[in-house]
Amino acid sequence: MTEEKRGGDRRFRRTDRLLIALMILPLLGCIVLKVLFTPESEGVDISGAMIFLELPAPVQPLVITESQVNSWAIMLSLLGLCLYLTHGLKEKAETKRQLIAEWIVEKCEGLVNANMGERFAGYEYLVAAIMGLSALSSLSCLIGLFAPTGDVNITAGWAILVFALVTWTKLQGGFLNYLKGFTEPIPVFTPMNFISEFSLPVSMAFRHYGNVMSGAVISALVGTALRGLSRLVLGWIPVVGTIPLLQIGLPAILSIYFDVFSGLMQAFIFAMLTMLNVSGAFPQEAWEKRQQKKAIRKQRAAMAKA
Amino acid sequence: MQSLSIISVNIWQVLISFANLAILTWIMKKFLFKPVKKILDARKESIDSAYARAGEAEAQAEEHRKDYAAALAAAKQTTDQMISDAAREAERRGNEIENEARDRAQEIRRQAEADALLEKKKAEEDMKREIADISAQLTGKLLEREIRPEDHRKLVDSFLQELDG
Repeated sequence: MTEEKRGGDRRFRRTDRLLIALMILPLLGCIVLKVLFTPESEGVDISGAMIFLELPAPVQPLVITESQVNSWAIMLSLLGLCLYLTHGLKEKAETKRQLIAEWIVEKCEGLVNANMGERFAGYEYLVAAIMGLSALSSLSCLIGLFAPTGDVNITAGWAILVFALVTWTKLQGGFLNYLKGFTEPIPVFTPMNFISEFSLPVSMAFRHYGNVMSGAVISALVGTALRGLSRLVLGWIPVVGTIPLLQIGLPAILSIYFDVFSGLMQAFIFAMLTMLNVSGAFPQEAWEKRQQKKAIRKQRAAMAKA
Repeated sequence: MQSLSIISVNIWQVLISFANLAILTWIMKKFLFKPVKKILDARKESIDSAYARAGEAEAQAEEHRKDYAAALAAAKQTTDQMISDAAREAERRGNEIENEARDRAQEIRRQAEADALLEKKKAEEDMKREIADISAQLTGKLLEREIRPEDHRKLVDSFLQELDG
C-alpha cells in the first residue's frame, strides 16, 4: 500500500469517526440536559415538555422546550447518519452502509411511486424526512428523552406542512377549481367540506401526538402503580423492600409496544397519510385532463402566432 | 424547572416544528438522496454502456465468425480444387508412364523378335553351310575323289536354291 493511499484511508476513518460523533453527541447532550434539569419528584408526574428558555415574542412567548431541543438533536443525528451512509459511496457497492443508503432511497422511491405516482416523485424527500424524524423522535424515549412526538406542537407543525402541501397541490388545478371543490357534490355541503378540509391537519397532529403521549402516560401510570404495589407487598423486608421489584418486567413489555411498535407504526401512518392526501388532492385523471387542456392551449397559441 | 402543560399549543413551537421538518426534508434531499441517486445513475449508465459494448462485441464476433466461415469455405474449395487437379495430373502422368512403358516393352519385344529372326537366319545359314560342308565331305568320301571346292560350292548352292525354290 502506498503512503498516499494510507493517508487517504486515515483521513477517511477520521471523517467516519467525526460523523459517528455527530450522530451520537447531540443525543448524549440531550440526556445530559434532561438529567441536569429534571426536578426530583415522587409519585405520578405527567406533564408536557420542560421549558428551557422563554423569550418574549408577539402573541405568545417564544419558548424553547425539551421537545424542540430533542428535535434539533435528532435532526443533527439524522444529518450525521445521512453523511455517514453516503460517505465513500462507490459505483460498485462495497460497504454495508452503501447498501443501506441505497435500500433507503429505493424503498422511499418505491413507496412514493406506488402511492402517489411518477408526477409526485419530489415527495420522496419529505416522506423520508417524516419517517426518519417521527421514528427517531418516538424511539428517543428509549434512551430516557422526552419524545418530541409526544408534544402536540411538534406534530401540529408537521401536519400543517402537510396541509400546506395538500392545499398547494389543489391550487395546481386553478384557484377557482379549488374554491369549486368545496361546493361538491352540492352547495349545501360547503360548511361540511370546510370542516373536513381543516380537520385534516388537526386529525393528523392529534393522531400521532395522542398515540405517543397516551403510551407515555400509561407507562408512567403503570410504573407508579407497580412501585406502590411493590412498597405495599414487599415493603416489610428490610433491604430488599426499598427496591421496587415489581417494576421489573411489565413496563418493559409496555415499552416495546408503546415506544417501539406504536412509534414506528405512527411514523409509517403519518407518511402514508401524507402521501395519500397529497396525491388525492389532485387525482391522476384531473391532472391528465389539465395537461391535455394545456397542450391544446399551447397549440392554439402557436397557431395564432403562425 | 417549569414544564408545559400536557396539552398546550404554542404557535412559535408549531412554527419551529414546521421549519424543522422542511429543513430535514432539504437535508434528506441534499445529503442522502442526491449522492445516492448520483451513484445509482452512474451505475446504471456504466451498466448500460457495458451492455452496449457487449452487444457491439457480439455483433463484431458474429461478423468475424461469418468472415472466418467464408474464408474457411473458400479455403476448402481451393484445397478440393487442388486435390482434384493433383489427382487428374497423377492419372495423366500414370497413363503417360504406362503408355511409355508399353511402347518400350513393345520396342524391346520387336527388337528381340528381330534379333531372334536374325539369329535364326544366321543359324540356318550356318546349318546350310555345315550341311554343305558335310555333304561335300560325304560326297567326296562317297566318290572317293577330290573335287574342287569351287565346283563343289557351286553345286551345293544350286542344290540349295532348288531346295529353297
